[in-house]
Amino acid sequence: MKPMFKALLTGLTLGILAMPVVAKELTIDLAGEPASLDPHRQWNPDSYYVYRNIFDNLFTRDNDGKIVGQIATAWENTSDTELTLTLRADISFHDGEKLTADDVVFSVKRITNKEFGSPQLGQFNQIIDAEAIDETTVKLTTKGPYPALMAQLVKLSIVPQHVIEASDKDAFNSAPVGSGPYKFEEWKRGISVTLSRNDAYWGQVGPFEKATFRAVPDAATRIADLQAGTADLVVSINSDAAMQLKGSSDVSALSAPTERVAFLGLNLDKPPFNDPNMRKAASLAIDIVGITEGLLGAGEIPMAQLSSPAHFGYSEGIEPFVYDLDEAKKITSANAELAATPATFATAPVFDQRIVQAIQQMLNDAGFNVAISVTDMPTYLGIVRSAPEDNAELNFGRWSCACQDADGIAYPLLHSDSNWSRINMPELDTLLNTARVSLDTEIRQDAYNQVHQIVRENYLIIPLYQAAVLYGASNKLAFEPTANESMFLNRMQWSD
Amino acid sequence: MIRFLLHRVGQALVAALGVVTLVFFIQRLAGDPVALLLPETATQADIDAMRSTLGLDRSAWVQYLEFLKDIMRFDLGDSFVQNAPVIDIIVSRIPHTLQLAAGALTVALAIGLPLGLIMALTRGRALSRWIMGLVLACQSMPTFWSGIMMILVFGVWLKWLPSSGTGTLAHLVMPSVALGLLSLATYARIVRSALIDELGRDYVRSARARGVGTVRLVHRHLLRNSIIPIISITALEISQLLAGAVIVETVFAWPGLGLLTVQSIAARDFLVVQAVVLIGAFVTIAANLAADILYSVVDPRVRLDDSA
Repeated sequence: MKPMFKALLTGLTLGILAMPVVAKELTIDLAGEPASLDPHRQWNPDSYYVYRNIFDNLFTRDNDGKIVGQIATAWENTSDTELTLTLRADISFHDGEKLTADDVVFSVKRITNKEFGSPQLGQFNQIIDAEAIDETTVKLTTKGPYPALMAQLVKLSIVPQHVIEASDKDAFNSAPVGSGPYKFEEWKRGISVTLSRNDAYWGQVGPFEKATFRAVPDAATRIADLQAGTADLVVSINSDAAMQLKGSSDVSALSAPTERVAFLGLNLDKPPFNDPNMRKAASLAIDIVGITEGLLGAGEIPMAQLSSPAHFGYSEGIEPFVYDLDEAKKITSANAELAATPATFATAPVFDQRIVQAIQQMLNDAGFNVAISVTDMPTYLGIVRSAPEDNAELNFGRWSCACQDADGIAYPLLHSDSNWSRINMPELDTLLNTARVSLDTEIRQDAYNQVHQIVRENYLIIPLYQAAVLYGASNKLAFEPTANESMFLNRMQWSD
Repeated sequence: MIRFLLHRVGQALVAALGVVTLVFFIQRLAGDPVALLLPETATQADIDAMRSTLGLDRSAWVQYLEFLKDIMRFDLGDSFVQNAPVIDIIVSRIPHTLQLAAGALTVALAIGLPLGLIMALTRGRALSRWIMGLVLACQSMPTFWSGIMMILVFGVWLKWLPSSGTGTLAHLVMPSVALGLLSLATYARIVRSALIDELGRDYVRSARARGVGTVRLVHRHLLRNSIIPIISITALEISQLLAGAVIVETVFAWPGLGLLTVQSIAARDFLVVQAVVLIGAFVTIAANLAADILYSVVDPRVRLDDSA
């Protein structure tokens, strides 16, 4: 190589190396735009992905799912119904004002105020009082002993009292001010929301100067955006799309089990599933491994209880369901007429229809007479919550309480007080009540062990699997999906 | 003319009121959005509370009268889902819808008209059949497929165009083509049959006999005489493009009114749906009115007062 040329090349290389690193701006494709960015005024996953980066909470969960302090640095149950929290003193909102105990009290009172009408009220209505003891100490009072309090507080965003009181009702929703690692920058209605890094953040800030969350409703388009490099992270893809990404060297699919549990609900007041033997036959007829591995394939895990390893209250000792079609047929043929009672299987388009159809086929193969009824989501919810005589014989559901506590799913689906439940067993109610109010984790765990066992033995409901979540991501992005489906920008890394 | 206009505006108002009333009650027959706004674990008490917050616990008639009262004051209300004024949500979408409709119409007219012309002039020959095949292909390709194919080819492989979204003229190309392909076929076929119709007329024969060349014939006589069906179709297409670009908007993440409508219906965001329907009704009526007026401008044989 000629020296001249070599020198030039060296110079060029050095020049490239010496170039300033261009700060990465992250682009995330969501399925829809946030409904609202006021964290207290919606219950919507596309809002959740975005606003969790703008606000801090009293507690958060680390990537392993453990509850750790965020605004709270220390906490103590000062009585069975009181939790006293010590707050960080060095947190400021994005407008520079300090976050104080008053803001925490204001946030709690705002979301628990019935007049305010938060969709999340049901998650926080056990809190009856909040009181600022001093600048950095807050005392929360609950109706009774409430073991899930901290798990719920993971979702309570702390909002600035001075900003909200100074603005009108809808203003905060379109220009939120928080104290989190990212600041709200711009909302292009129907298109995208852009956040910029809060360099004054008290904790880890993360590598991205800006992040844009776009609304891309079609999953195939989200995948194309990822492959074209116009998006770095995309949500809500299915396992077919994940397979498609396997061939690429630039992008890949990431998955994690979530706290969502899929189940087959049974109407215990109507034939054929008012008969325990028929319920057993139904459980024997469903090839759950075939569904999770053959149909879904995103890392779903078969479950025989209404909780998962991501929940407090998961029981290790519950025997998995066995798939035995011959045995199922044996039971149904003993009472073929009952088994052939027409049964409606209620479902909605948001659920994966492949699973619903597979279950229908499996049950009909075993001698049942199941017909699927697909309605839009609100109608489906109406049917599933209606009185037993109007209710469908079967329904498919996939639930999350966003609290990672067995109480969140098991209580509404199993307790006789709840209009989601078709079950009326005093023994089960007592156990669920005990677990709901005890602060002793051993007592709670023991109660849930028994609950899951009773459900399993009596086939009261057929739990199916722990759902997984799939993301498509650029290989340059380090992102660890979590069970609560959070998307914290400051926990991500980028390598060029 | 004035009498005609007043008559049509009156008709328009009655039609719009009818459409909105229908939508208002049909939507409410199907239930309300509350179950979707709350977590799965919400209790009946939570649901009742939310229903009362949104005012949905009142009877449908009370809500209807309230709605009419608000409409009179040009107040479209607040979205249940987005906690924002409906008017803001809709206004933010209108420019995108207009852009896409204009783009699609340009594609359809710029390609559809010449194709129809060529087909008419080469009737019975191989070229005409080939073009007809192409036109039929455009018409029968579902847009969710042609759209995603275009994204894969021009966005992912060749990287010539942005794969989705809005912002620049380049973003507009693929959605316009995807949407325009459908209307293109309609135009090509209408122009073809209108021209073939005219080609058989006596004046064409006598013009040919006088030695008028094809270009002059088409330009001076044929296009002028076959423009009425093109205007009618354009009026229909415009109202369709403005309201019905749902699939293209979904595939290309284009934030137009069509996508908003579908999302609002799914979320049972009543007030947004009502507002979009109201706009849709007015656009359709206005486009037809414009077509009626244009007829008389381009063809003096059409008299508005007679037809009114």
